[in-house]
Amino acid sequence: MLDKSVLDQYTTTIGIECHVQFKTKTKLFSAVDNDAREAPANTLVSHIDFGLPGALPVLNKEAVHLALRAAFALGTEPQKFSKFDRKHYFYPDLPLGYQITQYDEPIILGGAVEIEVDGQKKTIGVTRAHMEADAGKSTHPTGTDYSLVDLNRAGTPLLEIVSEPDMHTASEAKAYVRELYLRMRYADVSDCNLYYGNMRFDVNVSVSKTDELGTRSETKNLNSFRAVEKAVEYEVKRQIELLEKGEKIVQETRGWNDAKQQTFSQRSKENAEDYRYMPDPDLPPVVLDNPYIEKVKAEMPAMPDEWRERLSKLGSDRAQTDTLLEAELDAPEVNYLELIEQNIANQAFAKQLANWFVNIEIPARRDEKVLNPGKNAERLAFYQAVYELVAGGKLSSTNAKTLITDVLAAHAYPQNVAQHAEEQGFIQVSDEGEIAKVVTQVLAENAKAAEDVKSGEAKAIGFLVGQVMKASKGKANPQMAQELIKKQLGQ
Amino acid sequence: MADLSHDDVLKLARLARLNLTDEEVAEFAGELTEILHYVEQLQAVDVAGLKPTNQVSGLVNVMRKDEVVDYGYVPKELLKNVPKVQDDHLHVKRMIG
Repeated sequence: MLDKSVLDQYTTTIGIECHVQFKTKTKLFSAVDNDAREAPANTLVSHIDFGLPGALPVLNKEAVHLALRAAFALGTEPQKFSKFDRKHYFYPDLPLGYQITQYDEPIILGGAVEIEVDGQKKTIGVTRAHMEADAGKSTHPTGTDYSLVDLNRAGTPLLEIVSEPDMHTASEAKAYVRELYLRMRYADVSDCNLYYGNMRFDVNVSVSKTDELGTRSETKNLNSFRAVEKAVEYEVKRQIELLEKGEKIVQETRGWNDAKQQTFSQRSKENAEDYRYMPDPDLPPVVLDNPYIEKVKAEMPAMPDEWRERLSKLGSDRAQTDTLLEAELDAPEVNYLELIEQNIANQAFAKQLANWFVNIEIPARRDEKVLNPGKNAERLAFYQAVYELVAGGKLSSTNAKTLITDVLAAHAYPQNVAQHAEEQGFIQVSDEGEIAKVVTQVLAENAKAAEDVKSGEAKAIGFLVGQVMKASKGKANPQMAQELIKKQLGQ
Repeated sequence: MADLSHDDVLKLARLARLNLTDEEVAEFAGELTEILHYVEQLQAVDVAGLKPTNQVSGLVNVMRKDEVVDYGYVPKELLKNVPKVQDDHLHVKRMIG
């Protein structure tokens, strides 16, 4: 185990390449269905994907459109001129003998993504992002000497987003990939389904004791935010241990074993010149004009940062806002964000609404416990009525939670929320006389605690308030109960 | 420009997945070196201010709609070109251990 004093001598540097699968109907260069999730092997293939002699790839217009949206989502403008190149290497899942990608003139250059870790904001630079075709999918039956290749996925359009080496901790790496996920989802560029590999991450990690960067390893094909975080942690530890033993880091590609939570060596990395990049003569360049760029820019929906800005008036923390941002993606028809925003002028209510969404409704929806088919307007009116009861001291926050949970699971919203709460026995008693009676009874039954309060033990009063709440079946206004206890004990 | 060494040729052959005999390596070292020398002559030309020619067609934005097209054959027919097929998959030499 490495000592913290040793770890602290090293600076970690992390850069991340992220492959995002565009949500197009067809592949990048062939007019073949792009949804390879459940299709039988080698049924979504064409002469273009097989790289047969004479096959001519033709660029999918929608992929370019989505690349423009991705550019705006990454806080930049698309490049007016970009072209495609061939990256040569031989692998059985790549029938062409080269991958069609964008080398020196990609569609996106520059960009920035802001993350927040432990309350600290930080900007991660985006070096570039380029369109490229995916390879096929291989399986390796155990105990055999062969592999099997399915080319359904070959030619699927990807956007590879390359970050600057601006991250220095595993938490920053995780925050960055989560933010990319949110942005790509809000821009509607990709389904970002991690299970189906719609988003995959390659993580470059190096450590150094000096200002000079250390030798890096690249851990490829991570398919969850957690795996990104864990792979970085593992690599930092592995590399520092090697260096402390006086050994050298080998520049190499590594894989990730999720079961063991370890990286493992795959192959030494080829140099860029080994790929013998050349412009693809089959594919004319993409030239974008201003009207088209402006048109796509105008159609962009609000991005996560804009929502954070809009909701910032609530003063809620980033974690809460991000929970709302993610929940919105799971159930856009529920309109969490818009309902909060509509009411932002009434800050106290908007804030309470955000809290109820995050603490009650979002978890309830995840557990499929929201059955109420009522419209959003009815739902909002219900929350408003509950809020008024709480603000007026008639409903405790605990009872409000129960009430909301029950009504979300019901088949309709109550016509009259106050009456409904009353019938359910949720309405808080704020009648001093009634509470005073309960207090007298509780003090008589808990003489020891009452004595403790008298002799200045502050904790005992909490206990007594609890007893009053219990005796009143949760209906007593707890603040009033506390005041009355003090009063009756002459405090 | 230095002449291509035996090792340079072997590396190129490896990247192209070619298995060359020593005689072939010697032969290609000579031929490829000649080609390099020819390119060297081209490099002497002053091209300052000229854009590289990546495309000779002059075309731009050749794109298609995002719609499935029936190419007129059953996709699985393509497997007939594959040396070895198993369960509708391409059967290849094992890639990983």
